[in-house]
Amino acid sequence: MLGASLDVWMTIIGFALACAIGLIVAVMRLSGLGALAVPAYIYIQIMRGIPLYVFLLLVYYGLATISGLAFSPIQAMIVTLALTGSGYTAEIFRGGIEAVDRGHVEAAHSLGMGNWSTFRDVVFPQTVRLVVPPLGNTLVGLFKGATIASVIAVPDMVFLAMDVNTTFFRPFEAFGAVAVILVVTVVLFSIAITGVERVARLP
Amino acid sequence: MILVSLSAYSYDWSVVPRSMPVLAQGLLFTLQISILSLTFSLILGLGVALCRLSPFKPLSFLAFGYIQIFRALSLYVYILLLYFGLAAVIGIKLNPLGASVTSLTLLNAAYMAEIYRAAIGGVDHGQWEAATSLGLSQIGSFFAVVLPQAFRIAVPSLMNQLVDIIKDSSIVAVIAASDLMYNTIQLNGFYNRPFELYFTTGLIYLAVVAIVSQLAVGFERRLKRHLA
Repeated sequence: MLGASLDVWMTIIGFALACAIGLIVAVMRLSGLGALAVPAYIYIQIMRGIPLYVFLLLVYYGLATISGLAFSPIQAMIVTLALTGSGYTAEIFRGGIEAVDRGHVEAAHSLGMGNWSTFRDVVFPQTVRLVVPPLGNTLVGLFKGATIASVIAVPDMVFLAMDVNTTFFRPFEAFGAVAVILVVTVVLFSIAITGVERVARLP
Repeated sequence: MILVSLSAYSYDWSVVPRSMPVLAQGLLFTLQISILSLTFSLILGLGVALCRLSPFKPLSFLAFGYIQIFRALSLYVYILLLYFGLAAVIGIKLNPLGASVTSLTLLNAAYMAEIYRAAIGGVDHGQWEAATSLGLSQIGSFFAVVLPQAFRIAVPSLMNQLVDIIKDSSIVAVIAASDLMYNTIQLNGFYNRPFELYFTTGLIYLAVVAIVSQLAVGFERRLKRHLA
Protein backbone atom coordinates (compact mmCIF):
# COMPACT_ATOMS: atom_id res chain seq x y z
CA MET A 1 0.00 0.00 0.00
CA LEU A 2 2.91 2.27 0.80
CA GLY A 3 4.23 1.60 -2.68
CA ALA A 4 0.90 2.41 -4.28
CA SER A 5 0.68 5.78 -2.52
CA LEU A 6 4.12 6.63 -3.90
CA ASP A 7 2.84 5.89 -7.41
CA VAL A 8 -0.19 8.08 -6.79
CA TRP A 9 1.94 10.96 -5.50
CA MET A 10 4.37 10.83 -8.38
CA THR A 11 1.42 10.80 -10.76
CA ILE A 12 -0.31 13.76 -9.17
CA ILE A 13 2.81 15.93 -9.05
CA GLY A 14 3.79 14.91 -12.59
CA PHE A 15 0.26 15.61 -13.80
CA ALA A 16 0.12 19.06 -12.20
CA LEU A 17 3.43 19.99 -13.83
CA ALA A 18 2.29 18.51 -17.14
CA CYS A 19 -0.84 20.68 -17.04
CA ALA A 20 1.17 23.82 -16.33
CA ILE A 21 3.71 23.14 -19.08
CA GLY A 22 1.01 21.95 -21.46
CA LEU A 23 -1.00 25.15 -21.04
CA ILE A 24 2.04 27.31 -21.77
CA VAL A 25 2.94 25.23 -24.82
CA ALA A 26 -0.65 25.34 -26.08
CA VAL A 27 -0.73 29.12 -25.81
CA MET A 28 2.61 29.32 -27.64
CA ARG A 29 1.27 27.02 -30.34
CA LEU A 30 -1.79 29.25 -30.82
CA SER A 31 0.07 32.54 -30.48
CA GLY A 32 0.22 33.07 -34.23
CA LEU A 33 3.92 33.91 -33.93
CA GLY A 34 6.01 31.47 -35.92
CA ALA A 35 8.93 31.84 -33.55
CA LEU A 36 6.78 30.49 -30.71
CA ALA A 37 4.41 28.20 -32.56
CA VAL A 38 7.03 26.15 -34.43
CA PRO A 39 9.11 25.22 -31.36
CA ALA A 40 5.86 24.40 -29.53
CA TYR A 41 4.77 22.12 -32.38
CA ILE A 42 8.14 20.34 -32.43
CA TYR A 43 8.06 20.01 -28.64
CA ILE A 44 4.64 18.36 -28.76
CA GLN A 45 5.68 15.92 -31.49
CA ILE A 46 8.82 14.92 -29.61
CA MET A 47 7.09 14.44 -26.27
CA ARG A 48 4.34 12.38 -27.84
CA GLY A 49 6.66 10.33 -30.02
CA ILE A 50 9.21 9.01 -27.53
CA PRO A 51 8.22 6.05 -25.35
CA LEU A 52 8.06 6.77 -21.62
CA TYR A 53 10.61 4.05 -20.86
CA VAL A 54 13.21 5.47 -23.26
CA PHE A 55 12.58 8.97 -21.96
CA LEU A 56 12.93 7.88 -18.34
CA LEU A 57 16.33 6.30 -18.91
CA LEU A 58 17.42 9.30 -20.96
CA VAL A 59 16.50 11.63 -18.10
CA TYR A 60 17.86 9.43 -15.33
CA TYR A 61 21.11 8.13 -16.83
CA GLY A 62 21.63 10.32 -19.90
CA LEU A 63 21.22 13.74 -18.30
CA ALA A 64 23.25 12.71 -15.29
CA THR A 65 26.28 11.81 -17.41
CA ILE A 66 26.27 14.84 -19.68
CA SER A 67 25.39 17.56 -17.20
CA GLY A 68 26.03 16.19 -13.76
CA LEU A 69 22.38 17.03 -13.11
CA ALA A 70 21.70 13.92 -11.08
CA PHE A 71 18.04 13.42 -10.29
CA SER A 72 16.97 11.04 -7.59
CA PRO A 73 14.94 8.16 -9.05
CA ILE A 74 11.66 9.69 -7.84
CA GLN A 75 12.55 13.10 -9.28
CA ALA A 76 13.51 11.52 -12.59
CA MET A 77 10.16 9.72 -12.76
CA ILE A 78 8.24 12.92 -11.97
CA VAL A 79 10.20 14.92 -14.56
CA THR A 80 9.54 12.22 -17.16
CA LEU A 81 5.82 12.11 -16.38
CA ALA A 82 5.62 15.91 -16.48
CA LEU A 83 7.43 16.23 -19.83
CA THR A 84 5.82 13.34 -21.70
CA GLY A 85 2.44 14.24 -20.22
CA SER A 86 2.80 17.87 -21.27
CA GLY A 87 2.84 16.84 -24.96
CA TYR A 88 -0.64 15.42 -24.50
CA THR A 89 -2.00 18.15 -22.22
CA ALA A 90 -0.77 20.80 -24.68
CA GLU A 91 -2.86 19.27 -27.44
CA ILE A 92 -5.85 18.97 -25.11
CA PHE A 93 -5.61 22.62 -24.06
CA ARG A 94 -5.19 23.65 -27.68
CA GLY A 95 -8.37 21.78 -28.60
CA GLY A 96 -10.14 23.33 -25.61
CA ILE A 97 -9.06 26.87 -26.44
CA GLU A 98 -9.94 26.47 -30.13
CA ALA A 99 -13.37 25.12 -29.23
CA VAL A 100 -14.33 28.38 -27.52
CA ASP A 101 -16.51 30.36 -29.89
CA ARG A 102 -14.59 33.09 -31.76
CA GLY A 103 -17.49 35.41 -31.10
CA HIS A 104 -16.69 35.43 -27.39
CA VAL A 105 -13.19 36.76 -28.11
CA GLU A 106 -14.59 39.38 -30.45
CA ALA A 107 -17.23 40.37 -27.93
CA ALA A 108 -14.60 40.72 -25.20
CA HIS A 109 -12.38 42.81 -27.47
CA SER A 110 -15.26 45.06 -28.42
CA LEU A 111 -15.98 45.57 -24.71
CA GLY A 112 -12.48 47.00 -24.48
CA MET A 113 -10.84 44.03 -22.77
CA GLY A 114 -7.18 43.48 -23.52
CA ASN A 115 -5.73 40.23 -24.88
CA TRP A 116 -4.62 38.96 -21.49
CA SER A 117 -7.85 39.79 -19.75
CA THR A 118 -9.85 38.24 -22.60
CA PHE A 119 -7.90 35.03 -22.25
CA ARG A 120 -8.02 34.93 -18.46
CA ASP A 121 -11.62 35.99 -17.91
CA VAL A 122 -13.44 34.81 -21.02
CA VAL A 123 -11.62 32.04 -22.89
CA PHE A 124 -9.83 30.14 -20.14
CA PRO A 125 -12.82 29.52 -17.84
CA GLN A 126 -14.66 27.96 -20.77
CA THR A 127 -11.62 25.95 -21.80
CA VAL A 128 -11.27 24.43 -18.34
CA ARG A 129 -14.76 22.97 -18.55
CA LEU A 130 -14.06 21.41 -21.93
CA VAL A 131 -10.73 19.85 -21.05
CA VAL A 132 -11.69 17.99 -17.88
CA PRO A 133 -12.66 14.64 -19.49
CA PRO A 134 -9.59 14.33 -21.76
CA LEU A 135 -7.28 15.51 -18.99
CA GLY A 136 -8.76 12.77 -16.83
CA ASN A 137 -7.69 10.23 -19.43
CA THR A 138 -4.19 11.69 -19.39
CA LEU A 139 -4.10 11.42 -15.61
CA VAL A 140 -4.99 7.73 -15.77
CA GLY A 141 -2.42 7.24 -18.52
CA LEU A 142 0.29 8.87 -16.42
CA PHE A 143 -0.64 6.72 -13.45
CA LYS A 144 -0.21 3.61 -15.53
CA GLY A 145 3.06 5.05 -16.83
CA ALA A 146 4.28 5.70 -13.29
CA THR A 147 4.32 1.97 -12.56
CA ILE A 148 7.42 1.67 -14.74
CA ALA A 149 9.38 3.61 -12.09
CA SER A 150 10.72 0.39 -10.59
CA VAL A 151 13.17 0.02 -13.49
CA ILE A 152 15.20 2.83 -11.93
CA ALA A 153 14.67 1.42 -8.44
CA VAL A 154 11.93 3.74 -7.19
CA PRO A 155 10.46 1.74 -4.29
CA ASP A 156 6.93 1.83 -5.72
CA MET A 157 4.36 -0.95 -5.61
CA VAL A 158 5.87 -2.94 -8.49
CA PHE A 159 9.30 -2.72 -6.91
CA LEU A 160 7.92 -3.98 -3.61
CA ALA A 161 6.13 -6.77 -5.44
CA MET A 162 9.41 -7.79 -7.03
CA ASP A 163 10.93 -7.77 -3.56
CA VAL A 164 8.15 -9.97 -2.24
CA ASN A 165 8.62 -12.23 -5.23
CA THR A 166 12.34 -12.69 -4.68
CA THR A 167 11.77 -13.43 -0.99
CA PHE A 168 8.86 -15.86 -1.27
CA PHE A 169 9.00 -16.81 -4.95
CA ARG A 170 5.29 -16.13 -5.38
CA PRO A 171 5.22 -14.14 -8.63
CA PHE A 172 1.56 -14.65 -9.41
CA GLU A 173 0.34 -13.51 -6.00
CA ALA A 174 2.79 -10.59 -5.87
CA PHE A 175 2.10 -9.19 -9.32
CA GLY A 176 -1.56 -10.16 -9.16
CA ALA A 177 -1.94 -8.01 -6.04
CA VAL A 178 -0.30 -5.10 -7.87
CA ALA A 179 -2.67 -5.60 -10.80
CA VAL A 180 -5.67 -5.50 -8.47
CA ILE A 181 -4.40 -2.34 -6.74
CA LEU A 182 -3.83 -0.78 -10.16
CA VAL A 183 -7.33 -1.53 -11.40
CA VAL A 184 -8.95 -0.35 -8.17
CA THR A 185 -6.93 2.89 -8.17
CA VAL A 186 -7.82 3.58 -11.79
CA VAL A 187 -11.49 3.06 -10.95
CA LEU A 188 -11.13 5.47 -8.02
CA PHE A 189 -9.45 8.01 -10.29
CA SER A 190 -12.29 7.63 -12.79
CA ILE A 191 -14.89 8.22 -10.08
CA ALA A 192 -13.00 11.34 -8.95
CA ILE A 193 -12.80 12.60 -12.53
CA THR A 194 -16.53 12.07 -13.05
CA GLY A 195 -17.09 14.09 -9.89
CA VAL A 196 -14.95 16.95 -11.20
CA GLU A 197 -16.73 16.75 -14.54
CA ARG A 198 -20.08 17.14 -12.80
CA VAL A 199 -18.86 20.20 -10.89
CA ALA A 200 -17.27 21.72 -13.99
CA ARG A 201 -20.23 21.14 -16.28
CA LEU A 202 -21.96 24.25 -17.54
CA PRO A 203 -25.02 25.07 -15.45
CA MET B 1 27.50 24.90 -12.53
CA ILE B 2 25.44 22.87 -14.94
CA LEU B 3 26.79 24.79 -17.91
CA VAL B 4 30.35 24.19 -16.80
CA SER B 5 29.83 20.46 -16.54
CA LEU B 6 27.92 20.43 -19.83
CA SER B 7 30.99 21.63 -21.67
CA ALA B 8 33.20 19.36 -19.60
CA TYR B 9 31.46 16.27 -20.86
CA SER B 10 33.05 14.92 -23.99
CA TYR B 11 30.45 13.36 -26.22
CA ASP B 12 31.39 10.22 -28.02
CA TRP B 13 28.95 9.83 -30.85
CA SER B 14 31.13 7.19 -32.48
CA VAL B 15 29.26 4.59 -30.40
CA VAL B 16 26.15 5.31 -32.45
CA PRO B 17 27.37 4.05 -35.86
CA ARG B 18 29.00 1.11 -34.12
CA SER B 19 25.69 0.28 -32.45
CA MET B 20 23.59 0.59 -35.59
CA PRO B 21 23.52 -3.10 -36.61
CA VAL B 22 22.32 -4.15 -33.14
CA LEU B 23 19.80 -1.29 -33.00
CA ALA B 24 18.49 -2.22 -36.44
CA GLN B 25 18.01 -5.79 -35.28
CA GLY B 26 16.10 -4.52 -32.26
CA LEU B 27 13.97 -2.23 -34.40
CA LEU B 28 13.06 -5.17 -36.61
CA PHE B 29 11.93 -7.12 -33.55
CA THR B 30 9.96 -4.12 -32.27
CA LEU B 31 8.17 -3.77 -35.61
CA GLN B 32 7.55 -7.51 -35.74
CA ILE B 33 5.85 -7.69 -32.33
CA SER B 34 3.97 -4.44 -33.01
CA ILE B 35 2.50 -5.66 -36.28
CA LEU B 36 1.67 -9.10 -34.89
CA SER B 37 -0.04 -7.52 -31.87
CA LEU B 38 -1.88 -5.06 -34.09
CA THR B 39 -3.25 -7.85 -36.27
CA PHE B 40 -4.32 -10.05 -33.36
CA SER B 41 -5.81 -7.20 -31.35
CA LEU B 42 -7.78 -5.97 -34.39
CA ILE B 43 -9.46 -9.37 -34.52
CA LEU B 44 -9.82 -9.91 -30.78
CA GLY B 45 -11.02 -6.34 -30.29
CA LEU B 46 -13.78 -6.84 -32.83
CA GLY B 47 -14.82 -10.02 -31.04
CA VAL B 48 -14.94 -8.22 -27.70
CA ALA B 49 -16.89 -5.30 -29.21
CA LEU B 50 -19.45 -7.72 -30.67
CA CYS B 51 -19.84 -9.43 -27.28
CA ARG B 52 -20.18 -6.03 -25.63
CA LEU B 53 -22.98 -5.06 -28.04
CA SER B 54 -24.73 -8.43 -27.96
CA PRO B 55 -28.19 -8.41 -26.41
CA PHE B 56 -27.19 -11.46 -24.34
CA LYS B 57 -26.53 -9.83 -20.94
CA PRO B 58 -23.89 -12.14 -19.39
CA LEU B 59 -21.76 -11.96 -22.53
CA SER B 60 -22.05 -8.20 -22.69
CA PHE B 61 -21.15 -7.94 -19.01
CA LEU B 62 -18.08 -10.15 -19.45
CA ALA B 63 -16.91 -8.00 -22.34
CA PHE B 64 -17.49 -4.88 -20.24
CA GLY B 65 -15.35 -6.36 -17.45
CA TYR B 66 -12.63 -7.32 -19.90
CA ILE B 67 -12.51 -3.80 -21.34
CA GLN B 68 -12.44 -2.10 -17.94
CA ILE B 69 -9.76 -4.36 -16.48
CA PHE B 70 -7.42 -4.38 -19.45
CA ARG B 71 -7.69 -0.65 -19.96
CA ALA B 72 -6.75 -0.07 -16.33
CA LEU B 73 -3.68 -2.31 -16.32
CA SER B 74 -0.32 -0.98 -17.35
CA LEU B 75 1.63 -3.12 -19.80
CA TYR B 76 4.53 -3.29 -17.37
CA VAL B 77 2.50 -4.83 -14.56
CA TYR B 78 0.63 -7.08 -16.94
CA ILE B 79 3.72 -8.43 -18.63
CA LEU B 80 5.32 -9.22 -15.25
CA LEU B 81 2.16 -11.02 -14.21
CA LEU B 82 1.95 -12.94 -17.46
CA TYR B 83 5.61 -13.81 -17.86
CA PHE B 84 6.58 -14.60 -14.27
CA GLY B 85 3.23 -15.12 -12.55
CA LEU B 86 1.56 -17.43 -15.02
CA ALA B 87 4.72 -19.46 -15.41
CA ALA B 88 4.79 -20.13 -11.69
CA VAL B 89 1.07 -20.93 -11.35
CA ILE B 90 0.20 -23.13 -14.30
CA GLY B 91 3.64 -23.89 -15.64
CA ILE B 92 3.09 -22.14 -18.95
CA LYS B 93 6.49 -20.72 -19.78
CA LEU B 94 6.05 -18.28 -22.61
CA ASN B 95 9.12 -17.20 -24.48
CA PRO B 96 9.74 -13.44 -24.48
CA LEU B 97 8.31 -13.07 -27.99
CA GLY B 98 5.12 -14.94 -27.08
CA ALA B 99 4.68 -13.05 -23.82
CA SER B 100 5.23 -9.70 -25.57
CA VAL B 101 2.74 -10.34 -28.33
CA THR B 102 0.18 -11.88 -25.96
CA SER B 103 0.27 -9.01 -23.49
CA LEU B 104 0.26 -6.29 -26.15
CA THR B 105 -2.63 -8.04 -27.90
CA LEU B 106 -4.77 -8.54 -24.80
CA LEU B 107 -4.29 -4.97 -23.58
CA ASN B 108 -4.83 -3.30 -26.94
CA ALA B 109 -7.86 -5.43 -27.80
CA ALA B 110 -9.66 -3.64 -24.97
CA TYR B 111 -8.92 -0.24 -26.55
CA MET B 112 -9.78 -1.55 -30.00
CA ALA B 113 -13.10 -2.89 -28.68
CA GLU B 114 -14.05 0.59 -27.49
CA ILE B 115 -13.03 2.11 -30.84
CA TYR B 116 -15.15 -0.43 -32.71
CA ARG B 117 -18.06 0.10 -30.36
CA ALA B 118 -18.00 3.86 -30.87
CA ALA B 119 -17.71 3.38 -34.64
CA ILE B 120 -20.64 0.95 -34.76
CA GLY B 121 -22.63 3.46 -32.73
CA GLY B 122 -21.57 6.13 -35.21
CA VAL B 123 -23.25 4.42 -38.15
CA ASP B 124 -26.54 6.11 -38.95
CA HIS B 125 -29.50 4.20 -37.54
CA GLY B 126 -31.31 4.63 -40.85
CA GLN B 127 -28.84 2.20 -42.39
CA TRP B 128 -30.10 -0.52 -40.05
CA GLU B 129 -33.68 0.22 -40.88
CA ALA B 130 -33.00 0.34 -44.59
CA ALA B 131 -31.15 -2.98 -44.48
CA THR B 132 -33.83 -4.79 -42.50
CA SER B 133 -36.60 -3.34 -44.65
CA LEU B 134 -34.79 -4.76 -47.68
CA GLY B 135 -35.28 -8.15 -46.09
CA LEU B 136 -31.82 -8.66 -44.59
CA SER B 137 -31.76 -10.43 -41.26
CA GLN B 138 -30.38 -8.71 -38.16
CA ILE B 139 -27.08 -10.53 -38.49
CA GLY B 140 -26.99 -10.05 -42.24
CA SER B 141 -27.54 -6.32 -42.04
CA PHE B 142 -24.92 -6.03 -39.35
CA PHE B 143 -22.18 -7.77 -41.29
CA ALA B 144 -23.10 -6.58 -44.79
CA VAL B 145 -24.15 -3.00 -44.09
CA VAL B 146 -23.19 -1.66 -40.67
CA LEU B 147 -19.80 -3.23 -40.03
CA PRO B 148 -18.11 -2.12 -43.29
CA GLN B 149 -19.16 1.46 -42.59
CA ALA B 150 -18.11 1.23 -38.97
CA PHE B 151 -14.73 -0.03 -40.04
CA ARG B 152 -14.19 3.07 -42.16
CA ILE B 153 -15.09 5.31 -39.25
CA ALA B 154 -12.73 3.39 -37.00
CA VAL B 155 -9.66 3.34 -39.25
CA PRO B 156 -8.01 6.60 -38.07
CA SER B 157 -8.33 5.65 -34.40
CA LEU B 158 -7.15 2.12 -35.10
CA MET B 159 -4.06 3.45 -36.86
CA ASN B 160 -3.35 5.73 -33.90
CA GLN B 161 -3.51 2.66 -31.74
CA LEU B 162 -0.59 1.27 -33.74
CA VAL B 163 1.48 4.26 -32.62
CA ASP B 164 0.63 3.41 -29.01
CA ILE B 165 1.51 -0.23 -29.56
CA ILE B 166 4.93 0.66 -30.97
CA LYS B 167 5.67 3.01 -28.08
CA ASP B 168 4.34 0.59 -25.47
CA SER B 169 6.31 -2.27 -26.96
CA SER B 170 9.50 -0.71 -25.55
CA ILE B 171 8.43 -2.11 -22.18
CA VAL B 172 8.91 -5.72 -23.29
CA ALA B 173 12.62 -5.06 -22.73
CA VAL B 174 12.00 -5.81 -19.04
CA ILE B 175 11.48 -9.49 -19.83
CA ALA B 176 14.59 -9.58 -22.02
CA ALA B 177 12.77 -9.65 -25.33
CA SER B 178 15.46 -8.35 -27.65
CA ASP B 179 13.57 -5.34 -28.99
CA LEU B 180 15.01 -1.92 -29.78
CA MET B 181 14.90 -0.82 -26.14
CA TYR B 182 16.47 -3.99 -24.77
CA ASN B 183 19.28 -3.84 -27.30
CA THR B 184 19.91 -0.22 -26.36
CA ILE B 185 20.16 -1.12 -22.68
CA GLN B 186 22.57 -3.94 -23.53
CA LEU B 187 24.68 -1.62 -25.69
CA ASN B 188 24.78 0.88 -22.87
CA GLY B 189 26.05 -1.85 -20.58
CA PHE B 190 28.86 -2.34 -23.05
CA TYR B 191 29.76 1.24 -24.01
CA ASN B 192 28.45 3.11 -20.95
CA ARG B 193 27.26 6.04 -23.07
CA PRO B 194 23.69 6.47 -21.80
CA PHE B 195 23.02 9.90 -23.27
CA GLU B 196 24.21 9.14 -26.78
CA LEU B 197 22.50 5.76 -26.94
CA TYR B 198 19.12 6.61 -25.37
CA PHE B 199 19.02 9.82 -27.39
CA THR B 200 19.53 7.86 -30.60
CA THR B 201 16.91 5.29 -29.64
CA GLY B 202 14.52 8.10 -28.81
CA LEU B 203 15.08 9.53 -32.30
CA ILE B 204 14.48 6.14 -33.90
CA TYR B 205 11.16 5.73 -32.08
CA LEU B 206 10.25 9.28 -33.01
CA ALA B 207 10.99 8.62 -36.68
CA VAL B 208 8.97 5.39 -36.70
CA VAL B 209 6.03 7.07 -34.99
CA ALA B 210 6.18 9.99 -37.45
CA ILE B 211 6.18 7.60 -40.42
CA VAL B 212 3.27 5.59 -39.08
CA SER B 213 1.28 8.77 -38.39
CA GLN B 214 1.93 9.97 -41.93
CA LEU B 215 0.80 6.62 -43.32
CA ALA B 216 -2.34 6.89 -41.18
CA VAL B 217 -3.10 10.35 -42.55
CA GLY B 218 -2.59 9.16 -46.13
CA PHE B 219 -4.71 6.08 -45.58
CA GLU B 220 -7.48 8.15 -44.07
CA ARG B 221 -7.42 10.54 -47.00
CA ARG B 222 -7.72 7.67 -49.46
CA LEU B 223 -10.70 6.25 -47.61
CA LYS B 224 -12.37 9.66 -47.62
CA ARG B 225 -11.83 10.05 -51.33
CA HIS B 226 -13.28 6.59 -51.84
CA LEU B 227 -16.37 7.56 -49.88
CA ALA B 228 -16.92 10.89 -51.60
